[in-house]
Amino acid sequence: MTRNLCAIAVAALLVAGIATASTTATPGVSATTITLGSSGPLTGEAAAAAGVLRGAEGYFKYVNARGGVNGRKIDFKYLDDAYDPSRTVQNVRQLIQQDNVFALFSVVGTNGNLAIRDYANAAGVPTVFSAAGATTFGRDYVKYPWTIGYLPPYGEEGELYAKHILATNGKKAKVAVLYQSDDYGKDLLAGFRRGLGAKARTSIVQTVGYDPTASDVQSQVAQLKASGANTLCIFAFGKFAIQAFQYANKLGWKPQIYINDVASASSIMQINPRSTAEGSISIVWGKDPATPKFKNDAGTALAAKIIKTYIPGANPSDGFLIAGMAEAFSMVDALKAAGKNLTRKSLMSAVTHMIEANIPFLVPGVTVHTTPTFRFPISAVQLQRWHNGHWELFGGAQSAKP
Amino acid sequence: MRIKLSAFVLGVLVLVVLPFVLTDFRTVQLATVGAYFIAILGLDVLTGHSGQISLGHGAFMAVGAYTTAILMANHGVRDLWTIPIAAGVAGVIGLLAGVPALRLSGLYLALATFGIAVVLPTILKKFDHFTGGSTGITLFGKPAQTGHGVGVWGLTNNQWLYALTWTIGAVVFLIAWWLLDSRFGRSLRAIRDSDIAAVASGVNRAKYKVLAFGVSAAFAGVGGALFAINVAYVAPDTFPIQLSLYLLVGAVVGFFGSIWGAVLGALLIQFLPDVVGLIPHVDTKQAGPTTLFFGLVLVVLMLVLPIVLRAASRLANRSYFGAL
Repeated sequence: MTRNLCAIAVAALLVAGIATASTTATPGVSATTITLGSSGPLTGEAAAAAGVLRGAEGYFKYVNARGGVNGRKIDFKYLDDAYDPSRTVQNVRQLIQQDNVFALFSVVGTNGNLAIRDYANAAGVPTVFSAAGATTFGRDYVKYPWTIGYLPPYGEEGELYAKHILATNGKKAKVAVLYQSDDYGKDLLAGFRRGLGAKARTSIVQTVGYDPTASDVQSQVAQLKASGANTLCIFAFGKFAIQAFQYANKLGWKPQIYINDVASASSIMQINPRSTAEGSISIVWGKDPATPKFKNDAGTALAAKIIKTYIPGANPSDGFLIAGMAEAFSMVDALKAAGKNLTRKSLMSAVTHMIEANIPFLVPGVTVHTTPTFRFPISAVQLQRWHNGHWELFGGAQSAKP
Repeated sequence: MRIKLSAFVLGVLVLVVLPFVLTDFRTVQLATVGAYFIAILGLDVLTGHSGQISLGHGAFMAVGAYTTAILMANHGVRDLWTIPIAAGVAGVIGLLAGVPALRLSGLYLALATFGIAVVLPTILKKFDHFTGGSTGITLFGKPAQTGHGVGVWGLTNNQWLYALTWTIGAVVFLIAWWLLDSRFGRSLRAIRDSDIAAVASGVNRAKYKVLAFGVSAAFAGVGGALFAINVAYVAPDTFPIQLSLYLLVGAVVGFFGSIWGAVLGALLIQFLPDVVGLIPHVDTKQAGPTTLFFGLVLVVLMLVLPIVLRAASRLANRSYFGAL
């Protein structure tokens, strides 16, 4: 009997230990704070993308130190999902049900965002400026009114590369494509085909997908080289992009390379020997601190200052940090516009009425513009070419409107 | 026996009371614990009682989860009815895996089952028309979802998931209890303790070993199905090799060989990462510390906890916690 009583006492203690309670009018908004939540790959193969969250966190701290937004400080809470969408689902469930976040901000990854949007929309929680460029996040707002992305849509990015090929080497181009075989890579590939139009069937000689959890892409690159292509599109991520460059070089293959935005950070492109990546073409929308043109730029200087003060230990030339700061800049603007009486509705209204031409972290000509029926915050980009160990912009801002 | 029965009744009472005192979110976390609990019960039957080690039970969970997800999403089968089907599919695959396992033992069987767990996510990605590839399958809001993610019969969605998981958990526990207390369980333990002596006593070694694999995989399949229903989402990377390892660790922590300890192991899998985050000066936003602490805690627990708990239970009462 005593033993049973003990067991009951232990159970009761356990219960008391993990039970918590909280109530607020608008979840995540108090007189002094706004709580935002996010999830991304802080560990694992895709951990480089965590720079987006750290950059955003740094910018929020910078804003907090200057009084915050309408008198409230931003509390940005993000959890690790190791790029596993089912963990994104569980993280988001925790953020909404336990941490009572006001909104989800900059959740990283196309698959993760696809996995959470049914739930987040059913719960009526804004999922704002997601770090994912699948076209569906901007297009399907009737079904998912609480969701909005941020990055230029991948499909349009693919189209831009196709148009550049048609304009520069339309007759002779034989294209091989390496793509990540998930919605992210397939979106890029589909846009690329669309951009080539009638030429797609004759120009593309080989496409090979790789699994995002694969260990390397050596055999894929060898397969693509064997197709006899003179142009290579790399629609990849992080280390796979580096491997693709290295293996192509090792095999003595010198195609014209197009590399997608997410994989084209200067830190990735610094491959030995230097000739490996020379002449590669990509798009850009955030200011890369390593690009000479932005060496003495005010936005780059601000970013460097924020990184030094608030993100100690981070690599100052990490383009993901800048992307995160740009997202955070837009978020702060939206929270300001949503007013002192902040609600989830007023935030959604603010993020769908954005006109920002002054974001210090974006390249000239790239602005943020949304309406309730046009939900692609960044819909212009700039082409760039890798030359002598850094990116050089060319050709002015291009539209990436779907 | 009477003490065990009262322990069971007490456990059920605690389970009934918990959702009334916990937040909605903790309730659904405990539902996930329930899914792990059922999978660990399966491992207890296989490794604890028949002595066959499996480093691949995450794969059987995946089979159950995908059976449920595909039936719900593509064929509109109500989630409840997919659970027995998931058990059946995983059970049959378990039986098939049990046949070659007869020829392997110890380390070799561990490696072979490890192989199954390593290879399964890749297979799931390969047949992406069927499994949704690495994008996975979303079940939230599907017509086949009981309560449509909102709740049912006056329960919130989370309470419903909790009630469903632990009702099935209790049933599976009773089945395991009955099975292990019967001729089946005695034969398994005889084989585990001495192959030769068991055969000499007329135990059909091959039959029971294969059956143990089948039963164990069926349990894991039920666990997987409930996991899919709880999270309302499955993807190949939900079932990495780590999951199989955690399940084995969970079984070890829960006094290996005893189905009574399975709940401890299940709690550990779910809550250890949270506990690590509570340690001061540990930045869980960096890759290193979380992984390191997770590994350290697991190693220490595996070394120390079974010894401590067993000693304690022996001191307290031989039959109270003792192995079945």
